[in-house]
Amino acid sequence: MGFSLEGVGLTHANGFRALHDVDLRVAAGERVALVGASGAGKTTLLRVLAAALRPDGGQVSLLGMEPWTGSPAALRRLRARIGLVHQAPPIPPRQRVVTAVLAGRLGQWPLWKSLASLLYPLDPEGARHELARLDLGERLYERCDRLSGGQLQRVALARVLYQQPDLLLADEPVSAMDPALSELTVALLNEEAIRRGVTLVASLHAVDLALRHFPRVIGVKDGMILFDMPASQVREAQLRELYAAEGGVPMAGVAAAADVAAPPPLRCI
Amino acid sequence: MRAGISPAGVFGLMLLLTAAAGSFVFLEMPLGALFTGSAAREAVAFVGRFIPPETDPAFLAKVGWAALETLAISLLSTLLAVLGGVALALPAAGRQGPLARQAARFVLNLLRSVPELVWATLMVLAAGLGPFAGTLALALHTTGVLGRLFAEALENTPRSPAEALTGLGAGPLAAFFYGVLPLVAPQWLAYALYRWEMNIRMAAILGFVGAGGLGALLYYSLSLFHEAEASTVILAMLAMAVAVDGASAWLRRRMAG
Repeated sequence: MGFSLEGVGLTHANGFRALHDVDLRVAAGERVALVGASGAGKTTLLRVLAAALRPDGGQVSLLGMEPWTGSPAALRRLRARIGLVHQAPPIPPRQRVVTAVLAGRLGQWPLWKSLASLLYPLDPEGARHELARLDLGERLYERCDRLSGGQLQRVALARVLYQQPDLLLADEPVSAMDPALSELTVALLNEEAIRRGVTLVASLHAVDLALRHFPRVIGVKDGMILFDMPASQVREAQLRELYAAEGGVPMAGVAAAADVAAPPPLRCI
Repeated sequence: MRAGISPAGVFGLMLLLTAAAGSFVFLEMPLGALFTGSAAREAVAFVGRFIPPETDPAFLAKVGWAALETLAISLLSTLLAVLGGVALALPAAGRQGPLARQAARFVLNLLRSVPELVWATLMVLAAGLGPFAGTLALALHTTGVLGRLFAEALENTPRSPAEALTGLGAGPLAAFFYGVLPLVAPQWLAYALYRWEMNIRMAAILGFVGAGGLGALLYYSLSLFHEAEASTVILAMLAMAVAVDGASAWLRRRMAG
């Protein structure tokens, strides 16, 4: 119940060819990091995996279903089982934190429940539980425009945790956080995937984070997969080739010095 | 740019003055008569007939009742216009495809380009004299105005929140209420309150064409040359406009917080 891509290609409306003939097979419960320079196609790949973008070529199978051959209702049911953490948290600034988190289950709730919850939050404890894991339990009734960039990113993460998807996708989920918090948050994502036995794919800007936390690492360059191997086998030369255009391999900084064998204590369950 | 007036500017000014003078001649307005002594005396006497305003309790009760009717007309018509405006703004903002967009824009333009008083005259013919016709007339015109303003607010709103929600399986209505409405609500509310202020003034004069409210009372009083009564009605209109301006300013301040 993982996913597979076969010969997937995608050209954006502006004519930019974002993905070339991508083959990728990930089994259920695997945890995969996507690394690569910006503009390499990581976001596009994640959006294809989220059934948000329809590729113009190739076969896509997600959680045992083909998203683009069934009915719109089937597509909606599939999307409800896939959670994507967006790079820029797509949350209305005036919305309260609790509402933003509960929105994670809009794909599972009937319409009446969604609308009722807008007037009076129906599951504040569920939202508080996910926020507490990210150290934001106290901000439940705060408005989102009162939060910092890193806090907002964690609210968006709490939404996807609350959604409880079978396929957990994250597009640079820690880009607005400091190194220590990034470390904790990436660890939390992995924890969640292991605990619930779901598939996790995350794109990360900091390569060291990817190597420390994910068993499998995929390097994406120019819309193609440059390498796909266990984290322990990734060599420096490969990373240098991956980031040749950026003139250096990006690291998380402070956390890079942390002892890999003893990760910092986790706040999660 | 040179300082001073260019020859073209002088020519334009001359043209404007000539046009103004020509208009007086064309309309046969006795400009001089405005400034004679008898005209001034007549003007003072005319204004004097409005003072003091009528304060007979029976008439005041009538004015109060009519003021309530005007308030109800403005409130109900604005509410109807908000509903109609939202319903037309969604397709007009291009969210249901280009064809629906063109159709919705056409309807909005049609509703908006016919003035309230013309709608009121039509509605009095269609629905009979009274506040119902006034409400419909105001609702129709205001739907056109609000629909256009709402659509513009929608077009200037980022789509990513709603797209993220459809991405996790939310239906279009749920995505709208969670991902679009919170973004546009403050602006929509400000527009609606502003139109309510305008509608209460408009509701007051729609009575002239038989659409109920304070305007109807003013029309009767003036037709019968009861200037003191008319003066009371005008003061009531003024008081109501001031009260509504204050209330809506207060509401908007609360919303902005």
